[in-house]
Parts: sequence; structure tokens; C-alpha cells
Amino acid sequence: MSRKIERLINLTIALLATKRYLTKSEIFRSVEGYEGSAETKERMFERDKDDLRSLGIEIEVGSFDPIFNDEAGYRIKQEKYQLDLGEITPTEISLLSLAAQAWQGASFDEAAQKALLKLSSMGVPSDSLSLPTSAHKVNDGGGDLPLITKAIAEQQLITFVYLDSQLDRQERKVVPVGLSSRSGFWYISGVDQEIQEIRTFRIDRIDGEITATKGPKDFELPQSFDPARVFDGDASQSFAIIDVRKGKGFSLRALASSSQSLGEWDQLRLPIYNLNTLASLVLWHGIDVYVQEPFELRELIVAHLEKLVNNHG
Amino acid sequence: MGKNFSAPLERTARLLDLVPYIHAHQGIALKDLAAVFEVSNAQMVNDLTTLWMCGLPGYTPLELMDLDFESGYVSISNAPTLAKPRSVTFDEGVALILGLDLLRASIPVDRIDLLEKIDFLSARISTIINLSSTFSVIAPINQGVSAAIDQALSSRCTLEIEYHSVYRDEVTERVVFPIEIVEIDGQQYLSSYCYSASDFRQFKLDRIQSAVVTHEIKTIPKDSSKTEKINSRLKVLKPNRQIAERFSKSDLKAGSEFVFQTYSQQWLERSILSSGDGVVLITPPEIRASIAQMAQSMLDRYKDE
Repeated sequence: MSRKIERLINLTIALLATKRYLTKSEIFRSVEGYEGSAETKERMFERDKDDLRSLGIEIEVGSFDPIFNDEAGYRIKQEKYQLDLGEITPTEISLLSLAAQAWQGASFDEAAQKALLKLSSMGVPSDSLSLPTSAHKVNDGGGDLPLITKAIAEQQLITFVYLDSQLDRQERKVVPVGLSSRSGFWYISGVDQEIQEIRTFRIDRIDGEITATKGPKDFELPQSFDPARVFDGDASQSFAIIDVRKGKGFSLRALASSSQSLGEWDQLRLPIYNLNTLASLVLWHGIDVYVQEPFELRELIVAHLEKLVNNHG
Repeated sequence: MGKNFSAPLERTARLLDLVPYIHAHQGIALKDLAAVFEVSNAQMVNDLTTLWMCGLPGYTPLELMDLDFESGYVSISNAPTLAKPRSVTFDEGVALILGLDLLRASIPVDRIDLLEKIDFLSARISTIINLSSTFSVIAPINQGVSAAIDQALSSRCTLEIEYHSVYRDEVTERVVFPIEIVEIDGQQYLSSYCYSASDFRQFKLDRIQSAVVTHEIKTIPKDSSKTEKINSRLKVLKPNRQIAERFSKSDLKAGSEFVFQTYSQQWLERSILSSGDGVVLITPPEIRASIAQMAQSMLDRYKDE
């Protein structure tokens, strides 16, 4: 085992140090560890290349003299191999270290620790930045985050079962385009393949495994997608007029697009994204909230209240 | 994470990362180095011995790396090709970009220099890992709140907070003695003793609207827990996701009953009201009656007008 490792390291060093492409025969001649028949060496080399590539090392193939039909050569470009952050200051190193530390105990912790190790190998001292950090930890998104980020980068198609608001299990096929976290929950936004529209899903509402497969060939990132507006909902066509007692109804006030004082009450105008969700929020506030408009919302609330009175009488 | 490399590959990766690390930490104790790379001392000696055999083609002492670790302290020379750390992998880059995004919220707004650095680093890493899409993390709380909580926690002093209680539907001012930040079901809470409630309370971080350190030295009274648990029984009529999440029940079936414990009568009443025709509270009878009465007075108003 040790010999294979030595050979991989030696190959890396040789391909990094060379200024021009090294041909296979040059490699076999000069890099230690390539032994046996021509066929054996060939097989060894193919496997070694795959191994290095799987470690994320880019091996370039080319020929050093394009005019003649030369044998292909190989090299590793220093600038691709090395962590190149340009001229980096101690303060920047500290910021990156703090960013990595935010993952303590959460999904990307292991990757973050490896990144930290590389940062501390750059030979740049870090600044002691006094920034509040204890309150800022990333919430654990579970084991799915690495799969999702990879799917986003490679525009793969992900398939999962999603619990909708009626607890129905629906299979969704989505090309993910964004990942965001808010109030302790992680969300994926993506183009739902059935309706060809952007939808956002809360990851903990996914039931079971997420599988990633090759994405549609002609996929294009929707121009209209704005990651900062994921939580704003679709442009709402309708509004509700709701009276809220002064000093009450904070969750509704947060959603209101305008507010007008009516003495003991304030009248709010709220966009309606989902009638059932809004009805539920209105009911939560009991006698401190009263719906003026629209008629359907009043009807829905009256129907719920009648049931509530009946069920609890 | 992500890929699980076979043992030889994992070891190859470790050796490649060892060289720049030793370069940046010449003379590091062998046991410290082993701890950083999370391997035993014996394994580290093994790794260093293997590295010693590596170098540029030729493999004479001139081309081989020069490692010294017999004294128990490790130093390296003649390894210029591997002296710089390897570039970050996709997962490592994503971890940094998301971490930077979160960090951005904890930087005071007047530190434009730091904010610019964060944007620069984030863009730089996106280029390195070839990422064109968008990831974003929105910090749960604002910078002022976070700084005050940190200060109060580290200097063991009290905080004056404005807190939005969803159960009571009010924003109240409270004086609290913060104990720690805890995570429950992925949500972060400030665990504190609350002088206003004369009891221990957990405040959800993203509902703390403001926080000011008071520098007052207060103590936590002994025997301060007076809250009583409410044991309730509920029956599911129409299962839906909101009910499942609110009562943490993953398998709701129409007609099934379950027991639920809570400390807050208001929370229970509001939860039942907001579930509408989805659930019925069976016991306790006094809360059941109070729900019926609340629903009736709301209904009266809709019928009147």
C-alpha cells in the first residue's frame, strides 16, 4: 500500500514540477514506482490518473509540440493545484476561519475543517478579529446538503417525496437552482419539472431520500430567479383587509403592506398567498383580529368557527 | 462527507496536505501534528516516513524532501513543489461561501472594509469551485442583538430584551439573565432566567427584537420554577401538515387521538383555534370550554355585521 501512495505522491510532484507536458514514456522512465511489463505500467498509470482526479487534482492532457502529431503528455498546473486566493491578508484569513467555524457540528463540518487546515497551511498569520460569533452557527441541514449543493452546481435533476400542506406525499422532480436558510430551516428553490415554474421546498418536509440524476440537457437558469426574494411569495393578485387590535397581531402586522389607524384598531392590508394559511393565522389571534374582506376568507373563517363551537360544546 | 475515499487515497490526500502544513508550522511537535490530522502518533510517523521517500525524479538526496522528526519535532525542507496548500474541493468551498454569508450578518454595518472583504472572498471562492448558482444563509438575528447576547453571556450580566411572544401575541420588555444558547429541533434559543416571569424561559433567537446589556449584577432566586404542565388530549379530525408540525406528530390519522403536554394554556388555545376544523381538544374540560367560548364570541361578531 505504501508503495502505491509513494508512487501517487511522486507522480503528483513530477507533474507539478514540469514546465511542459510529460509523455507517458518519460513518466515511466523517470517517476519511481512504475515497474513490470508495458501493459502493467499502462494499467497502473491509468488507475493513478483516475485516483488523483478523484482527489480533485486536475491533470491536463496535451502535447508540447502541436505541429507534429506527438504522443500525448500530462502535467498538473500549479495554479489549479494550489489554493490561490491572491494576495491575502491576515484579516481575510480570519474571516475565512470564522466562516468555517460556523459549521461546528452541522452538515458541512468535516469539509469546513479540511478547508480550515488548508487555510492554516498558507503561512499567513491570522488576525484576532473580535466579532460576535457564538450566536451565529449554521443550523444543521442534515446529510442532504452536500448532495443538494452538488446537484445545484451540476444542474442535476433531484427527485423526492414532499409532504404538502394536506400531508399528501407527492413526488417532485426539480432542477435545483438555489439553497437558502431562514429561521433555522433550509430551503431548496428549483424549477419544478412538471409545471416548469420555480418552487421553494423546506428540506425537513422532504420524506425519505433525495435522489439526484442527470438533469435535462437544455436546462437554462431562469432569468427571473432572484435568490433574495425566495421568501416573498408569488406576486399576489388579491389582498385582504383585516382589523387588528392595537398592540396585538404582530405576526399579521409583519405581513401587511399597509396599515391605517382606526382608534382602538388598526386596519391592515395584506397580500393573500394562500387562503387557508391566512385563515389559520387569523384564527390564531382570536378576538383581536377581524376580517373585513374578502368574502371567501370571511366564509372560511365562519365555517371553521362554527365547527370549533360545535366540536367543543 | 460526500465521497468516502479508500484508505490509500485518503492517506495520499493526507500526505499532500501534510507538506504545506509542516511548511507553515516548522518545528511543530509530532503529537500536535498527529492531533491536527486526527491520526495516532504511530500513524503520523508512518506518514512522515513515507513522505521522506518522495521527491522529484532522480530521487537522490538532492531531489528528495528533507524531513526531520526524530527529535519529536517536525520540520521540512526541499519540498517546494508541494509547499502551497491544495485548492479547496467543491464541498469545502460551499462550506466557506455559506459560512461567509452567515458571517456577513454579524459584521457591524459601519465596517464596510470587512463587508467588502467578505464579498471579495466569496466571489473568489465561487470562481475557484466553479459555482455560478446562488446559496444564501440568512442569519437568524441581527448584529446588535447578537453582539449584546455575546457580551452578556461572556461577562455574566443581565440583558434587557424586547421579545415577541407568539403565544401571547405581544411584544414585551423583559430583564433576563442569559445562561446559554441551545438548539432544539434545529431552532436556536437563548436559555435564560427571566426576572419578569420569575422563572426560567427559553427565548427563540429570531424573535428577540432588541437586546441591551444592563451591567446589573443580579442573582437567580432559588426554587424558582412554578410552572405547571398541562396534560391535554386531542382528537384528529382532518390531518394536515400544520397540525403535524405544531404538535410534532409525524403520523396523523383522521379519528386518532393523542396526548400532548404544554406549559402554556394560551398556546394550546390558539393552536386549536388556528387548526380550525382539523382537531378537537378533548381534555382538560376547562380549556375546552374556553375554546368554545372564544370561538363563539368571534362568530357572534361575524354574524352581527
